[in-house]
Amino acid sequence: MKIVNMLAVVDVAKCTGCKTCERVCPVLAIKVVNKVAVVDEKDCRSCYACEQRCPEYAIAMVKRAHPFVVGVDIDSVEYERVARLCAKARFNPEQLVCYCSATRAEEVAAAILKGADTPERISLVTGVRTGCKVECIEPILRLLEAAGIQPVPPKGGWQWYGRTVTAWEIPEATKKKYASRGFYFDEDIELLDRVTIAPLQGRRES
Amino acid sequence: MRPVIPPISPRSSQYGVDPALVGKRVCELPGMTSVALSDLFPDLPQVIFPGAGGVAGVRRATLEAVEKVDMTKIRPEHSVNILASHHGFTLLGGEPYTEMLKTLRDVIEQRTGCRDIRLRAGVGLRFRETEEYIRRYGLDRYFQGKAIGVAPIDEGFPIATELGTLYGIRKVYDADWIVHAHNSDVREVHFHRQVDRAVKPFGMSYARIETRSTYHQNLGPRAANFTARAIFDSPFVQKKFAFASFLTVAPNGIVGVDADNDLYALNDRVTRLGCTLYGKMMTLFGEIDECIVALDFPCPVVYVFAAGVIYANFAGANTDLYDLELPLPAYTWYTEAFYGKRGKPLLEDIPPLNPAIRMCVHNYAWTGYPSAFFSEHIPTVMVGQEQADLFRRDPQNLNYMKHAVVAESMESAMEFAKKTTGTEKVLIFDGAMGGINLSEPLAEFLLQKAPTVARRVDEELLPKWLRQRGIPLSGAAG
Repeated sequence: MKIVNMLAVVDVAKCTGCKTCERVCPVLAIKVVNKVAVVDEKDCRSCYACEQRCPEYAIAMVKRAHPFVVGVDIDSVEYERVARLCAKARFNPEQLVCYCSATRAEEVAAAILKGADTPERISLVTGVRTGCKVECIEPILRLLEAAGIQPVPPKGGWQWYGRTVTAWEIPEATKKKYASRGFYFDEDIELLDRVTIAPLQGRRES
Repeated sequence: MRPVIPPISPRSSQYGVDPALVGKRVCELPGMTSVALSDLFPDLPQVIFPGAGGVAGVRRATLEAVEKVDMTKIRPEHSVNILASHHGFTLLGGEPYTEMLKTLRDVIEQRTGCRDIRLRAGVGLRFRETEEYIRRYGLDRYFQGKAIGVAPIDEGFPIATELGTLYGIRKVYDADWIVHAHNSDVREVHFHRQVDRAVKPFGMSYARIETRSTYHQNLGPRAANFTARAIFDSPFVQKKFAFASFLTVAPNGIVGVDADNDLYALNDRVTRLGCTLYGKMMTLFGEIDECIVALDFPCPVVYVFAAGVIYANFAGANTDLYDLELPLPAYTWYTEAFYGKRGKPLLEDIPPLNPAIRMCVHNYAWTGYPSAFFSEHIPTVMVGQEQADLFRRDPQNLNYMKHAVVAESMESAMEFAKKTTGTEKVLIFDGAMGGINLSEPLAEFLLQKAPTVARRVDEELLPKWLRQRGIPLSGAAG
C-alpha cells in the first residue's frame, strides 16, 4: 500500500526523447510520443525513477493536488490461497517485501491472485517497487513464479531482467568450497525456513 | 573537558534540506564536549588525514601503494574505468577519496600511456548522489568529461556466475579494464558483517537491481555476502579486473592506501582492519546504557557518522555485529522484513533495536534511504517543518513522519528529549573527525568503560571474529 502524493512533469523544452524515462519506469506510466516524454498522470506512482535518471534534467516531481492511496485489499481474496502462494515462494505472508512502501508478501500475493501478472501491474496496484526501486524485484518474481506465471520483461526496457538464485538453490559444491569464509549458507536457510512458517500476527490469528 | 570538534558542514543536495535551514548544530549546545578517539583507544594507528598536510598525504600514499601494482596489461590504446562508489565521498568530508581517485587517474596515464580513463561512480539508493559529488569535487573536469554517475536501474546485462545469472550495470564494465577504487571503512557492517567487505561493491554499487535484491531478499543475512564474490569471480569480471586501490580507514581517520592486483589478498587485510580497528568502537558503543541520539550529518538517517560508526550500527549495538553465530543483528533489512503486522518480530529470537537509544533528535539528515523502521521503533523528534515535508515527499520515507513528531528548533527538540527520557547522555552523529561530540556525562562514561572493552576485544572477541572469517589471528594489519 502506498500514498501517491507526487507526479512527474516533463519540461518539453528540455526533453530530447531519449527514452531513458520510458525504460526505467516501473509501471510503464511514461512514454515517448513524437519525440517527447508523456506522463500518464493516473498511472504515475511518484517513484521518481524518471526524474532521477533523465540525462537532461527535464523531469520534475510536483505535489499532486489530490493524493491517493493504492493497495490491494487482502480481504478481497481467500486468505488460504494467499498463504499457500506465499509459502510456495518461501515467504511468510506478513514478511515485508518492500521496505519503502511497507508492502508485505501477502499483498503482492493477493494482487497476483486478482490478476496482476507482471511486475509492472503488481507495482501499479500495490505501490511495491515504487520507492527505492531496487530491493524488491526478486520477491515479486518469486511470487509470480510460485503462481505459475513467467512474465516477460518490457521490450527494450531496463525495468528488470530476470529471477535470480535463492538460498535454497545454492549449489552444495559452492557451500562446501567456502564453508570457512563466514557465509553460513545452511544456517541462513534454517533461519529463512523458520520465518516462513512463523505464526502470523494479523487479525486472523488473534 | 575538551571543546567540541567542528562537525561536518551541511551540504547542498536534492536529498537534504537547504543548508541555510540548518540552524544551530547539536554540538553547539551548552554541556557538549568531545572525546578524542585516541584517548579511548591509545592503540589506534596514526592517520594521514585529517592532518596538517591535508590530502597531500593521500596522494603520496596512493602513489606508494600502486608502485607494487602490475599495470602492464593496460596498453595505450585501451580504455580503463575507474570504479568509485558514493560512500567514499562521505568519508571525512570526501576530499581524501577524491584525491585517491585523481591520483589513480594520473598514475595510470603516466605508467601505461592510456588516455581513455573514465570515472564510473556507483550509488546506493540516491541515484543522483555521485553526480552531485562529481560536480562538487571537479571530477568531471579532472576526468576530461569522462566522469559519470551510474545507478542500479540503468541498462544492465547478464553475468554468468557460479550462482547462475546475476546482473551488472553496463556502463560499469564498458571499458577494456576496470580498477576497483574503494575504501576499508566498515560502514554497513550490519549487512556485510565484515565478510568480503572489499568485494561488496561488485554486488552493490556496480550491480543492477536484480543482484542487489538477491543480496537483500533471497539469500539470508550472512549468505548474502556471497553475491558479490560470485560476480567478482565470474570469468567476465576476472577478464576485465586490473587492480584495486583502497583508502584504509580507521575510526579516527585515513590510515593509508592499500593496492593490489589480488583483491582477495587485499580483502583479507581489510577484514582484519575492520575487526581490529572498528570492533572496539562498536563494542564500546554497545556498553552505553541510555542516551539521546542526535542526527546531524549530510547523509541519510542510517549513514550519519560518529567515531566512524554509522547510526544503523549503533541501532544494533546491543548485539555483537561481528559475531557471525548471531544470524540477525537488531537492524538489517532482513530483520526489518521479519517484523509482522503488529510491529513485533515474527521470531522470538530477533533482537530489538538498541534499547539504550531512548530518543532520536533528527536535526539534520537526508532522505533517500528507507528509514521508517527507525522512527517506528525509536521515539523520534524531527527538527523543522521543511525537513519533515521533505521526508513526506520522499518515496522511500512516506511513513517516516507517521511515527515522528516535529519540533520548531533543535533546542526545543533536545529540551523535550531530555525532559521526556530523563537522561543527560547525548551522542551526536555529526562526523566529527578524530573524536566524538557528546555530552559530558556520556564522555565520562565512555572514558571509564573503554579500557575494559579494549581488553575484552583483544583477548576474547577479536580471536573469535577472525576465526569465523577464516583469517589467521597473527599477521600484519596491512
